[in-house]
Order: sequence, then C-alpha cells, then structure tokens
Amino acid sequence: MERAAGGVSYQRFPRVRIRELKDDYAKFELRDTDASMANALRRVMIAEVPTVAIDLVEIEVNSSVLNDEFIAHRLGLIPLTSAAAMAMRFSRDCDACDGDGSCEYCSVEFHLAARATDSDQTLEVTSNDLRSTDPKVCPVDQARAYQHALGGTEPFDTAAAADQRGILIVKLRRGQELRLRAIARKGIGKDHAKWSPAATVTFMYEPEIRINEELMETLTLEEKRNLVESSPTKVFNIDPNTQQVVVEDAEAYTYDDEVIKKADAMGKPGLIEINAKEDSFIFTVETTGAITAYELIMNAITVLRQKLDAVRLQDDDADLGELGAHLVGG
Amino acid sequence: MAAGKSSSASKEDQYAALRELYRPHIDSFDYFIDEGLDKMLQSIRPVEITKGHLFPPKRDGRLDAPLYPQQCRQARTTYHGEFKVDTFIQCNDGPAVRQTFNFGYLPIMLMSKLCHLRGADSEKLIFHGEEATEMGGYFICGGMERLVRILILQKRNYPMGLIRGSFVNRGAGYTDKAVIIRCVQDDQSSVTIKLYYLLNGSARLGFWLGGREFLLPVGIVLKALIDTSDREIFTSLTCCYSDHYERGKGVVSTQLIGERAQIILDEVRDLSLFTRTECLLHLGKYFRSVMEGFEKDDFETVAEAVLKDYIFVHLQNNHDKFNLLIFMLQKLYAIVDQTASPDKADALQYQEVLLPGHLITVFLKDRLQDWLRKSKRLIVEEATKNKSFDLNDSQEVRKFLSKTSAYVGKAIQSMIKVGKVNSQSGLDLPQRDGMTIHAERLNFHRYISHFRSWGFLCPVHTPDGEPCGLLNHMTSTCRISSFYNSEGATKDFQKIKMSLIARLVGAGMAQLLPRIERTGPPEVLHVHVDGCIVGSIASAKIEEVIPEDLEVGYVPLSHGGAYPGLYLFTNPARFLRPVRSLLGLSNGGPNIELIGPFEQAFMEIRCPDGGDGGRNKLFPATHEEIHPTAILSVVANLTPWSDHNQSPRNMYQCQMAKQTMGFCGQALKFRTDVKAFHLQTPQTPIVRTATYSKYCMDEFPSGTNAIVAVLSYTGYDMEDAMILNKSAVDRGMFRGHIFQTECIDLSAKSRDNVTEFFCKSNLSRDTTAAIESDGLPRIGENIFPNEQYYSVCNNLTGTVRPIKLKGSEPAAIDYVAVNGTNFKDRLQKANIRLRRVRNPIIGDKFSSRHGQKGVCSQLWPDIDMPFSANTGMRPDLIINPHAFPSRMTIAMLLESIAAKAGSLKGKFIDATPFASSVKERSNSIVDELGPMLASYGFNYHGTEILYSGVFGTEMKCEIFLGPVYYQRLRHMVSDKFQVRTTGRIDQITRQPIGGRKYGGGIRFGEMERDALLAHGASYLLHDRLHSCSDYHIADVCSICGSLLTATVIKSESQKKAKRDMLGLPTVKPPKNFACQACKTSKGMETVAMPYVFRYLASELAAMNIKLELRLSNRTEHPTTTSEES
Repeated sequence: MERAAGGVSYQRFPRVRIRELKDDYAKFELRDTDASMANALRRVMIAEVPTVAIDLVEIEVNSSVLNDEFIAHRLGLIPLTSAAAMAMRFSRDCDACDGDGSCEYCSVEFHLAARATDSDQTLEVTSNDLRSTDPKVCPVDQARAYQHALGGTEPFDTAAAADQRGILIVKLRRGQELRLRAIARKGIGKDHAKWSPAATVTFMYEPEIRINEELMETLTLEEKRNLVESSPTKVFNIDPNTQQVVVEDAEAYTYDDEVIKKADAMGKPGLIEINAKEDSFIFTVETTGAITAYELIMNAITVLRQKLDAVRLQDDDADLGELGAHLVGG
Repeated sequence: MAAGKSSSASKEDQYAALRELYRPHIDSFDYFIDEGLDKMLQSIRPVEITKGHLFPPKRDGRLDAPLYPQQCRQARTTYHGEFKVDTFIQCNDGPAVRQTFNFGYLPIMLMSKLCHLRGADSEKLIFHGEEATEMGGYFICGGMERLVRILILQKRNYPMGLIRGSFVNRGAGYTDKAVIIRCVQDDQSSVTIKLYYLLNGSARLGFWLGGREFLLPVGIVLKALIDTSDREIFTSLTCCYSDHYERGKGVVSTQLIGERAQIILDEVRDLSLFTRTECLLHLGKYFRSVMEGFEKDDFETVAEAVLKDYIFVHLQNNHDKFNLLIFMLQKLYAIVDQTASPDKADALQYQEVLLPGHLITVFLKDRLQDWLRKSKRLIVEEATKNKSFDLNDSQEVRKFLSKTSAYVGKAIQSMIKVGKVNSQSGLDLPQRDGMTIHAERLNFHRYISHFRSWGFLCPVHTPDGEPCGLLNHMTSTCRISSFYNSEGATKDFQKIKMSLIARLVGAGMAQLLPRIERTGPPEVLHVHVDGCIVGSIASAKIEEVIPEDLEVGYVPLSHGGAYPGLYLFTNPARFLRPVRSLLGLSNGGPNIELIGPFEQAFMEIRCPDGGDGGRNKLFPATHEEIHPTAILSVVANLTPWSDHNQSPRNMYQCQMAKQTMGFCGQALKFRTDVKAFHLQTPQTPIVRTATYSKYCMDEFPSGTNAIVAVLSYTGYDMEDAMILNKSAVDRGMFRGHIFQTECIDLSAKSRDNVTEFFCKSNLSRDTTAAIESDGLPRIGENIFPNEQYYSVCNNLTGTVRPIKLKGSEPAAIDYVAVNGTNFKDRLQKANIRLRRVRNPIIGDKFSSRHGQKGVCSQLWPDIDMPFSANTGMRPDLIINPHAFPSRMTIAMLLESIAAKAGSLKGKFIDATPFASSVKERSNSIVDELGPMLASYGFNYHGTEILYSGVFGTEMKCEIFLGPVYYQRLRHMVSDKFQVRTTGRIDQITRQPIGGRKYGGGIRFGEMERDALLAHGASYLLHDRLHSCSDYHIADVCSICGSLLTATVIKSESQKKAKRDMLGLPTVKPPKNFACQACKTSKGMETVAMPYVFRYLASELAAMNIKLELRLSNRTEHPTTTSEES
C-alpha cells in the first residue's frame, strides 16, 4: 500500500448496497469505483467462480435414439448443487488421485440406469434419475425437491417448484435402455460454459437525468406526452396533478438517446440531459441454480481477491497455492 | 406419440403438398408399368407378344418374401423385380409356340405401383426403416439412390419452324430454314422429321435411320402416302394463297407458292414417278438394304413400313400424314417468305419434358430389339454352321433366344446406375449420358431439389457459373401432365380426342377428313389435336370454342408473327401450372385452371398486384396468378422476404441451402449413406415463409436461430469472417456429426482369389479391445487414427489381417450391420458406420438465409463478447456491418427485427415474399414490426446499446442485434486443412509429394517463387525450395566435373567405424569418396544442391549427355572446407 504512485493514494472504498436478494437473483449497487472494477467482477462471476459439473461419462448401455456424445453433452449441462465447490480440489492438481476421478476430494460419481419396459408410454429420462454418491452434489431440481420434501423453505423460486419433472435428458421408447456412470468435477466457466454458475450477469451505469424545467414549461401537454412516449422504456411520466414531466424510473433508461433525439427534433435542444455516472453501477445477477446468487457474489469477490493477491505476491515469489491454478488457467 | 387414426390421417394430408412435388416421377413410372410396357412390346416386330410381366421386388431364394428398399440400401443391392414376357414364336408357317422369356430384373421405382411401400402410411414406413415422409420417385441401384433427371425436349407433335446455320451443311442447295416435328408414338418412342427448304424452292424430308440421315424429295413422300394427283397436291399446297389478299394481317403465303408447288411436282416427274405404286417401289428399292427384317419382302412392303415406322409416327392414317406434310410445307414457305416468324427452340413454349417412365419404356424397347437382332445373328450363325439345326424345333430356337435375354434387364440397370444410354440409334434423345443422378440426402433442400430439376422454371434457383440457366428447377406449383387423371385412372387419349373433335365440330369447326381443305389462313385456321390436323375453322369464329381442360395454343393471326393455327394438346409430359381463371363459369366462382407454356404465351394473365402489367384495355386479363410466389421453386420459396434482397443473393442462398448441415433424415439409424451430415440441435426458424409449413420443413430443419450482432468488434470479423460465442458453442450451438458408412464386401474384393472373412485373431496382443470375437468392432467404441477397428482372416493361410482407421480424426462406431452369410456361414459382408464429432471450430463455414456466408474466425468466450446492460444478453455471433451495403440483403435486417419481435411476442412471423403486393393495403414491414418492438421496450429500429465485454464501457453507437436463422454449411476445415513440415517424399525426385490424403504439401509453384523473388525474400525462398524440399549434398569431382562418378572408398569407412568403436571423437572424416573416372579422390568436393539436379544429370547421362560442373571458388577456399551451398 506504500507503493501507491507518487505517494498519492488512489485507494477508494467501494460501497455495495443490496437492493434485492433471492436465491437465484440479485440486484445491487456498486458505488465509488470504476468500470474496470465492475467489469472484473462481472467477468469473474461468469467465468471464474467454480462449480461442479459432469465432466466424464462412461456409457455402459445406450440404445436410445441419441448418440453417446449427445447424451454426455446434455449431462454436462445439468446444473449441480455446488455450494461445496470452493472447498473442492481441481482434479488436475488433486494429490489424492491422478485426476482419474476416483477420489472424494475432487470428484463426485453419478449413476444412471433407465430402461423402458414394455408399456407403450415413452419413458422420459430426466436429471431426477441421476443418483449421486455425495448428497451435497446433486442436480439442482433434485435438491429443490428434497428441500420441499423436508418441508423446509423453498430454496428457489416457488413458481418453478410447481413442476418437479427434472431436466429432460433423453426419451426412451419401449425396450430402449440407458445405463451410465458419470463423474462430476470442479471447474470454471472459462474452460467450459457448463461450469459457469451465472445465467446472466450484467451491470449498467447509473443514469443521471436532468430536465431543463424552464424549457419544459414551453411545451404543450401534447408535446410533453409525445416526449414521454418517445422512449421505448418507461423512464418519464407526466405528473397527473402538476402536468410536469417527471423521471419515473431512471434505471429503465437504456442509453438509446431516443428522448434527446426527440427533444432535438422538437427544436428544444438541451431539454433533457442524461449522463452516465462514471462511478456507480447497478448489477443484475441471475444464477443457474448451482449456487445461490449470494454465494456467487461472495465467491466472485474471493476469487477476485485471490487474483489480486497473486499479482501482489508475484514479486515476493510466494507460494500461490490454488491461486496459481486460476492464473495459469486464465 | 400415441396418435389416433384421425390424427394420422391429417398427417397424411399434411404431406400431400410434399407428395405433389414427386408426382411426375412416380406417375410416369406407373404409366410404364400399366401401359407403356404393353404398348411398347406390341410395337416391336416381328415377334408377337401377348403380355409382359413385371414383378414386385422379391428376396433371393425365398419366394413371396418381399424385398424392401431399406434392405437393398443396407446390402448395397438393387431394388428390382423380375421381368418376364410371354411370346409367340412362329417359324415360317409352322405352329405358333407360346413361350415365356425371362429378361432378368428391372429396377422398380420406389412408391410406384409395384413398390411394396405404395400407399403405406407413416407408421408402416417407419416400420420398414424409411422416413415418415418418404416420397419415393427414385431407384435403388447397388445401394445407391439414383433418380432419372427430367430433361427438356422439343415439344412433341408440333411442327416448329427454325432457322439454323447448320442446316446448310446437309448438302448443296440446302438453306438454313426447316420445319421440324418430333413425332411421338403411343409407346413414347419418337422420330424427328425435318423438312428442309432448298434454294430452288423445293423441300427435302429428312429423318434418321440406322445412324445416318436420309433425305427424300418431299414430292415422293406426298405421292407415296396416298393415291393422289399432281393437281390435288398443287391445290392443297396453294390453297392458303388467294390473289385478292395483300400482305395483310394473317396472310401467310405469297404467290411464289404456286411456282414452288410446281418445282416439287417437277422433281417427282423428273424421276419418272407418277403413281403411288411407283413412288413406293422407288422408296422400297432405296430402303430395303437399311431396313432390318425386310430383306426378303418386296419393295412396296418395305416402303409401307418406312412410311409407318419413320414418317409422322404419331399418326396412323396416311391421309393425316399427307395433310400434316402439306401443312408443314405451307409453314416452311411462310417462314421462307417471312410472312411468319420462325419459332424459338430455346423457349419453354416449344418444350416438354422427358420423364423417367418414358425414358425406360423407350430404352427397354431399344434393348429388346437389340436382343432380337443378336439372337437372330446367333441363330443364323448356328444354322450355317450346323446343318442339323432345325428352325422348327422351338426348344432349339428358345435356347438361342434366351442366351442374351438377361442382358436386357442388366442394360436398364446399368443405365440407371451410370446414367448412360447405350444405344446405336440414340433414341432421338438430346444427350446420351448424365441421364440419372445420385439423390443426395445431405439435407432436405438438396434432396427435394433433385426431383424438381427442369421445370416451369424458377428464375432464382439456378447455379451461377457454367450451368447457369441450363440447370433449372421447377417452380413449386409446377406439375407435369401424365397418363393419369386426378382420380388416378388412366386417360383414354383416343376417347379424349374424339370428344374434343365432336365439341370442336359443334363449335363450328369443319372436319376435313380425308383431305386438307382448299383454303388456309387468314380465312380459316387449321385445328391440330396432338399434331394431327383434324379440321379447320373460320378465323372469325375461333374465339368461342376454347375449352378449359386442355392446352389450347391459339396462335392468332398476325403480320409476320408466328404461323397461325389452333393447336390443341392433350398428351402427357407437358408442363402445367395452375392459374385462376377470371372467366365466369357455370358454377359462378373463380376456378383454378391448369395452363401450359404453349398457351401461356398467348394468354393474358394478371398478377394480383393491382397493376395491369403493361397490357392495354384491348386485351383484358382473362386469368390471374394465384400468388406471385408461384414463379419460385420450393427452395427459393423458403428465403424469407426474398423480394427485399438483391437477386443474386437469393441465388446464392438456393445454392447454400443445399449445402447446409441439417437434419438429413429422421431414419438416420437405418441409413447407409456414404457420408451423412447431421446437426445436433437444429431449430425451426422464427421468421418463415408460407412454404415452410406447407412442405413440412420442420421435419428436416437446417439451422439455428442465432442472436446476431452486426458490429465490428476486435477486427476478427473482417472480410466476411464471423465471431462465434464459445460459450454458446459449449452449450450446443451448431454442434454436429458426420456419419460415414463403410461397406466392406470381402467376397467382391478377394485377394488373389483367396477368400477372406471377418475374424478376430486368437493372439490377444494382435488386436485391440475394440474388435469383438467376430472380427467386427463393438458399437459405441471410440477408435483413434491408426487404431485397428476390424480384422479379416485369410482362408488359405489363416493369417489375420487387422484394418486400421485412416485419416487424422477419431471416430466412434455408430452401427454395425451384417449382410448375409455367403461363405460357409462366415461373415463376408458388413456395413460399419462411423460417427465423427464436428463441433464448430475456427475455419468452419456458416451462412444466413440471404446468401451471406462467412467463416468462423474466433470463438470468443462469453465474457469477451459485448453485452446488453438491460437484458444481459450476449450475441451468439458477430458479423461485420460491411457485409450489408454492397450486397443489399435488406431481408436479413428485416429478419433480425422480425425475429426479435416474434420471439418477444412468442409467435412465428410470416415472411412470404411479395405478400405486400397481394394485400389490399399494406404498410412497410418495418412499420409493422417497429411498434411491436417498441411496445416491449426495445428500440424501434432493432438496435441496442451494448457494453464492451473486455472493458465494461459503453460502446458509442447503436448496434443492430436480433435473432437470425443461421445455417451451418458442410464445408469444414477438418476436411480441408493441409499442413506439413516434413513427411513423405517422392521416390525419384525426393521432393515432397502432393495430396492432402497422403500428408503431402501444397505446391509452391513458379508464381509463388516469382512473388518471393520480387520481395527479395531470398532466405525464405531458399528455405522453401531447398531446405524444406529436396536438399541434398552431392559429391562432385572437380577434376572431371562429374556428378555421378563418386564412389565410396571402403577402407575409409572402415576406419571410421573403428574410431566409432574405440569411442574416439569423430572428426570429420577425410574424403572417403573417389572419382571413378579420374581414379582419384583428390578433386572430390561436396556441393549442396537440389536432388532433382542430380536426377537430371543421371537422366542426361542415360541419353549420352555428360553434365559437367565447374566449381569456381575452389582456389579461394582450401579444399578441406568442403561445405558450400
């Protein structure tokens, strides 16, 4: 910290304000920092927070219509509960095994056996048919059903829990069979998208909207209404009492400049001024369900920290530990 | 899945539109089975044949076990049925003996009347390993799906006036003008008659017989046809001329016709032929030597046969023939006098098609005649050799007749297999090879296009380049007239003709049998029905008699235009297309009428765009197009909003649609295609045309709705390159497989006549785990290059030979099928299907549906792609904005907006081209879609603000973002990349070999050398052409300059070996070469050179030329330092 350039410290203390936090969704503000920090956080959340996903499939019998590679690929994309992923080892640098997936530190084994017996009904093989050897790691909707059965609080969105059919893997016709062994491993989204815990992570600059009230007074109500409607999203509204144009939802603004263009077209340049606040960001995070949104954010900060530590420690030539993998892997 | 009867019935209707596309093929083959076969057999002389039988395909050995197409594909055999003919053989006046001959096997068209799958519903089709949508129309020959191309031919039975330079070459006195008629008999065989105009005003009638053209003075033919007088011929010919007509409208002849008629008659008189008998004798004398089978007949019979078999074969009555010949002469003179314009042979108006069934009928007839000829020669030979041979012994005769009979079936099979028509006569066809093609099932677009080649033609769907405009595709609505009416019953053409004539007479036509009436245009018009002049009708009356159900070519009177007349056509093989008739009918409502190209040229058809198409009030429209898209073929119809694209782009799309890697078939499990491409996760397009659902394209989708951003990002999207989102690919976008089937037939390729069979070696170390005990691979096993995947045992030596996987790609065993056990219950024939994973990689080719193709240049991970702040959306694919301005594919931008709106709304968007011209009042498409987008909070114009994925900063421009249906094309780098450092070299020159298969290099040729020289990159040049090529250090004798006389001195090498053994440091050995010519090693030097130079020296030495090298800087360098380059 003494190394700050020119003796002047540029250190800032970013503030986070959480607006909304659900299990698979979060919205928070990040202030007093710049785009590089915000984007680093976004990138880490998408690509470097570890999860567990099926990585190795040994197919014993497959007489379904889908070929082996196809089924293996589908299995890989099933989100598995990965709360324990941070503590797990990457199988490539697991000491207990040589990464062959036979040890409990780096891998979880799954079994699937399904056979459509002689009924005319097609059998749907879903993620519910996957049998895990580790209760901590299982397909997310299985975990959801388990939680539900326990009578505990619904971990995820209640609406989705209504149909607990699981994720469809393949449909079997009479006489067809699928039997396989799968090994799930820890990994990061950079290697393959199946390890990415984030469905969507995005941020936007907080807009700062200034309405020139003097100029606005010169508009007729009709013109005001046109102005308000020129924005495809509901940013402005007309106060029913005062009939003034007010900002209803600044964050709905998509930086599409439609209102400004409209104002220019009306011959009133400078009617509305919109600027992006360079140092405040509004994040929206959605997860796949592998980990909760809270875990995702916290783990992302941990990983980001470790990465920064690695940079700082590089000169000291210290042991990077697990961090080295992150750096090398990147 | 558990579909009731009603839903399966509706599914059948769903495929009805699709089935219509294959109709011409199947109908024509059904005709061959039902009628053509018998008619053809009856027309063969001199054997009397009662009935030909063609049997449905059966399995070998077992009777009544039907053979199904799938089994043929699997076993690489032919889907064929036995062909037998009942005949009567009569020797002189002996008793007629009834005998049945077996002519081998004829291929059976799938879904024809003899196919086991005819009329099968989807469930039955699937049960037999076919597609649910299998439409047939092709043959299976040796496991290959072959179909007969539809060829364009000259319109049958229509006399066409032509001006062609090549006619002059017929001989002295010939001009470039002629009237040509292609006459087609009942059995579909045709003879073309040409009527040439001579400089002296006469005409010659020409036809081909036995490989050469015979030219007869027209007068002789006229006189030989019927008993007539000179006066009658003269008046018939001149009837169409009358003094009081000037060169007015519709006048086709001039006074010259009288003089010409005189010349024609004089010619005959000069040959002193006066009566019909004399003419016939003259002809018979001339033709007896060339007409086969008439050697012993008198001249008259020969002449009659010539007239029957070669002159106007579509007519039976000699009076009809006479009338037609008179008409043709009149037309010829009209063209010579320029009172009528010549016809255009290249216009669709004068063309019809050659259908598969017709081709087979014609070719089979030719082969049967050939069989008779061959058998006759055999019998004659035998009769001369063997005195005891008795012609009355039917058994003996039968022996010779059946000797070559099996070749008939084989010839048909090979015609379908190879596409070559081997016939002496040429069968009056425009081409002899390329008659059939392989029906590739790469994807459905390609497959369906095979069946629609040549048509009432699509202006968009034609290749660019050499065959542009020659290889065409039928429009989606086009049909071909056939022998069957809409109820499926056979048409009786005789009946149709009679009723037609009756109606025509009722409408005021004067019947003119037996003689042509003594007048002509412009007073009356001749009425032709299928090339037969049936009467004439006063030109004023004609407007009233046009019936709706046949092709009515009414060529009106004009000044110097086409030769007038009323031409009626009922025959099959004509193009037809539906239009809406505007004429009031008895039932009131507008009805659909089928029109042909001949009548179309003289019809007033309105396009429903409200415009008048440039026609004035004098000619009000009588018909209306059903929809403007009727001009497009099936594939061209699938391009969304193709009316908004620049036209060549639509052409490119038609090409590329046929190269996409999509769903080639749902019965993939049962397919044995040599190579099949398969997309793992195809989607149905959000934006689609009406045709898409009409032809059930969802059964065979061919692409993916990709989120496309039009932006220049990182520069990796320059020059039509495109960036794919790696994460999207990880999740399965554009993933695909290639299925390759290897058919291994050990019985066919036995080595040195030693039989081989599949077997696994007993020695476990010889084989891999992939091979099972029967010598074939285990299904599901992954095989890597150079790994064994099946093994073969030699029956004689008992050694087991493993076969390794070729190529550089791993493969999975998808399927193994065993076909029969021929050799002592040992396996000899098997199909092994390999599956290769083809996920998108850099260098793979993709395209939108608007002729916008591009190559993947980078796979960026999600985090590096730009993202939308509001939705968090990252594009799947980035293309460069420069792809648009010059190519003007506006429809692609429309598709992007429409698909975005459609996906927000959850509805498919209809993108049928020309839809706006049909609607009453229409806004622009953007005005419809824009508000829809805005209502969902998106930009009206489909743009969005994106943030850089790398920096997290807003990009200062609006970016066009939306889903576009993208296709993955079958061109993949994995099949094409060629790279090498070192590797195999040529044995003689020691230079790298060429060819990707052998790991060779790409030629660094003369022009490449020039380029490097121009850049002065001499080191690189040296590296390419020498170091990496045939670098060689040669020993040269500097005394005699010879390159070839160096020999190794043994002792030296022994010394070196000794030093090696003692472990002494190997110093550079002193010269261990000596010149054999100079007998000394003093002058030996080593020189680096290309090895070919040494080769050149030895080649020259072989020609007794000595190549001498002079080493220049020898004095500067001491001899010990020997390396020079």
